[in-house]
Amino acid sequence: MKYFVCFLLLAVYWPTAINGQSCEYQLEGQVIDLHDNLPIFGAVVAIEGTDLFGQTDEEGNYNITGLCKGFIRISVTHALCDTIERNINLRSNTKLNFELEHHINELNEIVLSENEIRRISASVNESKLNADQLTRLSNQSLSETLNTLVGVSSLKTGSSIAKPMIHGLYGSRVAIIANGMRLQDQEWGADHAPTIDLNGFESVQVIKGAAALKYGGDTAGGMIVLTPEKKGIKDSLYGSSVLNGVANGRGGSGSSRLTKTFSNGYYVSGQFTAKQFGDRQAPDYLLTNTGLKETSIGIALGRTKIQTGWEFNYKRFQNETGILRSAHIGNIGDLLRALESNVPLRIDSFDYDITSPKQQALHQNLQVTYFDQLSDETKLKLDYNVQLSNRKEFDVRRGNRSDRAAIDLTLQTHEFLGSLERQKRFNWDFEWGINGVFQDNYSNPETGVKRLIPDHQRYQLASFITGKYSPSNLFLWEWGLRADQIFLNAQKFYDTTDWKQRGYELDFAEFEQKDFGTQLLVNPKYNFTNISGQTGISVQLKEGITSTFSYILTQRAPNVSELFSDGLHHSLAAIEYGSLNLGKETSHKLILGIKKESKVFSFGFDPFLNSINDFIYINPSGVELTIRGAFPVWEYQATDVLMWGIDAYVSIRFSDQFSYDANAAYTYAQNVTENKPLISTPPLSLFQQLSYTFTPSKIEIQLAHRLTARQNRFPNTNFLVNQLELGEISEREVDVSTPPDTYQILDLYFSLPLSKQKKLKSSLRFIIQNLTNVTYNDYLNRLRFYSSELGRNIQLQLVLNY
Amino acid sequence: MLGASFTLLTVFASCSKDDPELVEEQELITAVELKFTSANTAAQTVRWTLDTNSTPSIVLQSNTQYQVAVSFLDESDPADVEDITEEVKEEADEHQVFYEFSGVSLDFSSADSDVLDSNNNPLYVNSVWNTNASGSGTVRLYLIHEPLTKTSSNRSGFGGETDVEVDFTIVVQE
Repeated sequence: MKYFVCFLLLAVYWPTAINGQSCEYQLEGQVIDLHDNLPIFGAVVAIEGTDLFGQTDEEGNYNITGLCKGFIRISVTHALCDTIERNINLRSNTKLNFELEHHINELNEIVLSENEIRRISASVNESKLNADQLTRLSNQSLSETLNTLVGVSSLKTGSSIAKPMIHGLYGSRVAIIANGMRLQDQEWGADHAPTIDLNGFESVQVIKGAAALKYGGDTAGGMIVLTPEKKGIKDSLYGSSVLNGVANGRGGSGSSRLTKTFSNGYYVSGQFTAKQFGDRQAPDYLLTNTGLKETSIGIALGRTKIQTGWEFNYKRFQNETGILRSAHIGNIGDLLRALESNVPLRIDSFDYDITSPKQQALHQNLQVTYFDQLSDETKLKLDYNVQLSNRKEFDVRRGNRSDRAAIDLTLQTHEFLGSLERQKRFNWDFEWGINGVFQDNYSNPETGVKRLIPDHQRYQLASFITGKYSPSNLFLWEWGLRADQIFLNAQKFYDTTDWKQRGYELDFAEFEQKDFGTQLLVNPKYNFTNISGQTGISVQLKEGITSTFSYILTQRAPNVSELFSDGLHHSLAAIEYGSLNLGKETSHKLILGIKKESKVFSFGFDPFLNSINDFIYINPSGVELTIRGAFPVWEYQATDVLMWGIDAYVSIRFSDQFSYDANAAYTYAQNVTENKPLISTPPLSLFQQLSYTFTPSKIEIQLAHRLTARQNRFPNTNFLVNQLELGEISEREVDVSTPPDTYQILDLYFSLPLSKQKKLKSSLRFIIQNLTNVTYNDYLNRLRFYSSELGRNIQLQLVLNY
Repeated sequence: MLGASFTLLTVFASCSKDDPELVEEQELITAVELKFTSANTAAQTVRWTLDTNSTPSIVLQSNTQYQVAVSFLDESDPADVEDITEEVKEEADEHQVFYEFSGVSLDFSSADSDVLDSNNNPLYVNSVWNTNASGSGTVRLYLIHEPLTKTSSNRSGFGGETDVEVDFTIVVQE
């Protein structure tokens, strides 16, 4: 095989002829796929050493004029493939066709749109959602959208707050990478939904494990990569709008995007989303105070040429989320009453008002990106971003203080990521880079409530090197190494009695800073050196069957919640304490993948094994008496954990119109040191879908079925409380452990294209979630004690593409 | 372009930071006081605080009527003790004091000096206790925030969120 990569990049610059040379020649031709002869759209054919280039249109045709006679070096590039080079001696107008071949372990079908998604890791299978799928889920939060992918679940706090969970891991073990930089928004909080709007992005990829070391070496769960649309180098104006009307919550959302590109490479792009709904409805009752208000704006300004480009990008995300009123309890007695009731204890009539308890978040992100192809082999990329994230949590308070936040955190992060990529030859690829982070958290004392998380600064410096070796289409070897140095500096007030009781006076005397009598100001300082690495291979076994195998090592420093948490969580009726004694976690993960892709029948089978030493988790450790009575106390501690699981999918295309897709995910997680199951492990889930597209109208119908099994492996974290009832004091068991029963949900989706003109494509969609209005509870919803999940939701969506 | 990106790096921040301020907690209740007055005996004040390891004890005479006043205090700063009871009285609509007994039979009702909410429901900050036969048991005092209803004969009936739930031992003697 002579041609391995999709694009040939002509890097050699042969000296042009002397003056008097005629430069009126034309080079044109077609770029097609080697296997099925289909044209390739969006390929860039460039003349090395000049500004001349052409882009292939939908028929694969390109056209370059103004060429000089003589030797020229042509490069052909495309989003998904490596570059290809070709030298020719131009003596007259020439027609030159190129045949490209995609990597076998990448997409098997060529996607004829501008939105091709480039694979991030070749040795770990990825799950992805493209623009069309994202549009359908435009009304939902990031976590709810990702839930549809195999191996991804959601840890929820009520109906509006959800965090993504990959292979049973969440929070600091899952990173969200948006536009090439990590989202920094207090992700350590189990009830902190990611403050990002999916509408600003073109594709979402989920990578299990930290296979993309460039972005971090501490995500044993995985990474969620959000990529914006690629801008073409031509004059164009295009955009889209999505309008959603939602019955459950009597609300909706609207999102619009507009991009203007110029032939000289400049572009400007804007996006705006607004979302609002009122109280949501469970099948049997209204969920009081579960409304949501959200707005998101994004602007991008930049210039992209083939060799170099830059971009300024600003995003602002703001939301207010209501938390079920009945979930705010005072003590264990209140929790027992809630557990014993079939309905939430407080149900008011429907309204759009969001009152305490509630959350408010404001996240701003300013990013500058620059890239430059320094030579034919080397590419430099620089990213700098500043993120400002403010989070407020409001409780039901006495004395008219419900309008004052009980928690008010401002997180400021400055991050730099620079990388140098070298493609030495056809077969070798290296990337080396530096990542620096400075982060500052300010916890506002004006709340009048003792800080849950203290003021702190984090300084981080990391360096990574990754490489890829691919001698043929049949084999690929990928590896990476990363080192992080982290310095954490916090200032926290401890009750003097607590400080002594927990033994900190002996172990951490050097952190003591100032004595205020009943309180002590302490200055904990931590240094962590973390090493992470990855190595994996991808082998094509037979036509269409690929096998991947990857080993991933990650190390994660404890986050500020695990170290310094200190307070009562109202809806969980538990007192949580961090521990200064924690050290870093080390995770070893093996992921195997077997994939067969063909037009009719495709399947994938990805088992994984994950061993984590010094895994940090929160565990009941006793009972504490307060003025509200006794509370269970949960403390952060370290243990050894063993996890394994399987993600599998199957896809059958009976005809061009009729298809069946199914996937299943199972995770086993054991707390090895304590010899019991790990809490909040996602249970077995199954998903299947039948799709039918009518021709020629292109009307599409999909019926989806989801099953989530009862989680039978769970630790017993029940506790006893003395209740006084009918003149008797009796001991009652508070059951917070038993997971809910298996549940099944049906969804129906219906899409009707309205107009197919080139300038304006529109379609109308009709989506019904929970078609049969099933009453169910989800084990991964921390507020499952107070209400059931949402009932039937009917949505109408209008999509316009212009 | 390269230069611009690098100069932004130097915005790496705060060299010297001020120490964080001590938070003045405003809704903390750290102590509960019950004051018993009757015609024939001396006034008795019984306190519950977080530090007491043993349950405080109330000693009453049988078949006697007592005026009982409850106080909620924030003594986290001993130099500046806050009386939270005032806030509770001001927000009578959103609060409810309640007592439940076990092991002794005792009736309680609203005192004349009690505070009523806007619907004339008693708050029970000032109550009248009528002891019956002798015995010993437990009295549990509740302060309920945003109860669902203002009339009930037991804690469950009120609903709402519990801000205070403390036990006292009670001995009714001959």
